[in-house]
Amino acid sequence: MSAPRICVPGKHAQIQLIPVIFYSQRICHIENGTTAGNGTYQRNGFIYSSIAGYLKTDKTDDGQVLIEVKRDIEQNVVPSVDAVVTARVTNVNPRFCKCLILSVGKIGLREPFRGQIRKEDVRATEKDKVEMYKSFRPGDIIVARVLSLGDAHSYLLTTAENELGVVMATSEAGANMDPISWCEMKCPKTLAIEHRKVAKVQPKYIQHTDT
Amino acid sequence: MPTDTRRIGGPEESFSPLAYTPTDSTKTLMMSSNGIRNDGRKCEDLRKMFIKTGVVSQARGSAYIEQRETKIICSVYGPREVVRKEEFSMKGQLTCEFKYATFSCSYRRQHQQDSEEKDFSVQLLEALEPAVCLHKFPKAQVNIFVEVLQNDGSALAASITCASMALADAGIEVYDLVIGCSMKIHEDKVLTDPTVNEEYDSQNSKELNHGSITIGFMPSLNQISAITSKGEIQIDFLKRAMTDCVEACQKIYPAMQQTLHTSIKDKLTASER
Repeated sequence: MSAPRICVPGKHAQIQLIPVIFYSQRICHIENGTTAGNGTYQRNGFIYSSIAGYLKTDKTDDGQVLIEVKRDIEQNVVPSVDAVVTARVTNVNPRFCKCLILSVGKIGLREPFRGQIRKEDVRATEKDKVEMYKSFRPGDIIVARVLSLGDAHSYLLTTAENELGVVMATSEAGANMDPISWCEMKCPKTLAIEHRKVAKVQPKYIQHTDT
Repeated sequence: MPTDTRRIGGPEESFSPLAYTPTDSTKTLMMSSNGIRNDGRKCEDLRKMFIKTGVVSQARGSAYIEQRETKIICSVYGPREVVRKEEFSMKGQLTCEFKYATFSCSYRRQHQQDSEEKDFSVQLLEALEPAVCLHKFPKAQVNIFVEVLQNDGSALAASITCASMALADAGIEVYDLVIGCSMKIHEDKVLTDPTVNEEYDSQNSKELNHGSITIGFMPSLNQISAITSKGEIQIDFLKRAMTDCVEACQKIYPAMQQTLHTSIKDKLTASER
């Protein structure tokens, strides 16, 4: 059936046409140069939509046309392997720390998922000298990467990259601490120095939190 | 029978108001000789339908469906973390809970799920599970809650339609919508979308050919996701009822599409503001 076109100006300048798509509506033939993206599935040589939303076509880096169906509203995400997640540390012990995954990439979760960082996944070098209490404290906001889906309880996370680790932490005096090196943070109130596995925050990530 | 101390019980001695109402003679006589049913429909007619999505603000997605006096509300939560200790699976899980509201039927329902409701929950799950892309949310689960606010027949069929609309509203990835439809087979007649008086009742059936059938149909894939029937039905009538069900589902499909379209449109314009 021919769906009426809805045009959303400004925000999606790269999109030419934005029809509303229904479940299982056939979008196009799978040809060389087309890839099925999010919100679509392939069957019998065709790409079908799997959510109700609008069609978005995009060029990928290798010259393929990426076909996606999007909803402008909040998306449903679950943490996947290699995804960068934001989490809050809830529990620290000498072997691992537990945390709650609050968002996956840019997308905030409605309900948190449980995650876990093992001692050996905290940093890339000198793994055997890692002390959990000198890396994380409960309440810290961390950026981590999903290592594996883990067991039935929690996802396995890692901070073994320069860009990953603690991004926000409160000192014992209750002030937001400033990072001073990759392993130390300083309290602006008491000038006390506390140990953390500090993330070298990427500018692109700051943009994410702004939006 | 164990009593629930936390709820206010009725008087110790009570009689059902149904005992004082005149026995419904229409229950046996289902239609007049010219083929018109008690509510003025022909055999193959569906009841008028109303669907609305986004009715429960707390839920990820929700839908409300009304087929004359049958009124059902459904809400979908998730994908969320699996709470109970269960085995690790790479596929997502789907759970369904079907419940009649205590006031929804001619006799009072209990707060806890009875065996019929549990049975319907399983049938609902079986109808929806083939349509949902479970591999898209590994380790997580999606919960579907269906509440019948008023029951005037075809509650299972309407709840299949309602649940699939709620899934669509929640943006859960699905291969296709699922449409529920039910038929009553009475002697040599096949009645579409039966009301509670027309529905199959094993006590009231003396005829040889007497039963009901409910299907879940995926319209664009042209596949049946679930089928259930009860009563004694000759195989020819079962086949006829099935094709009639599919035809009726195809009549419901445009209404669902229209509802989805307007809801997406509204959400898009709302997010632009």
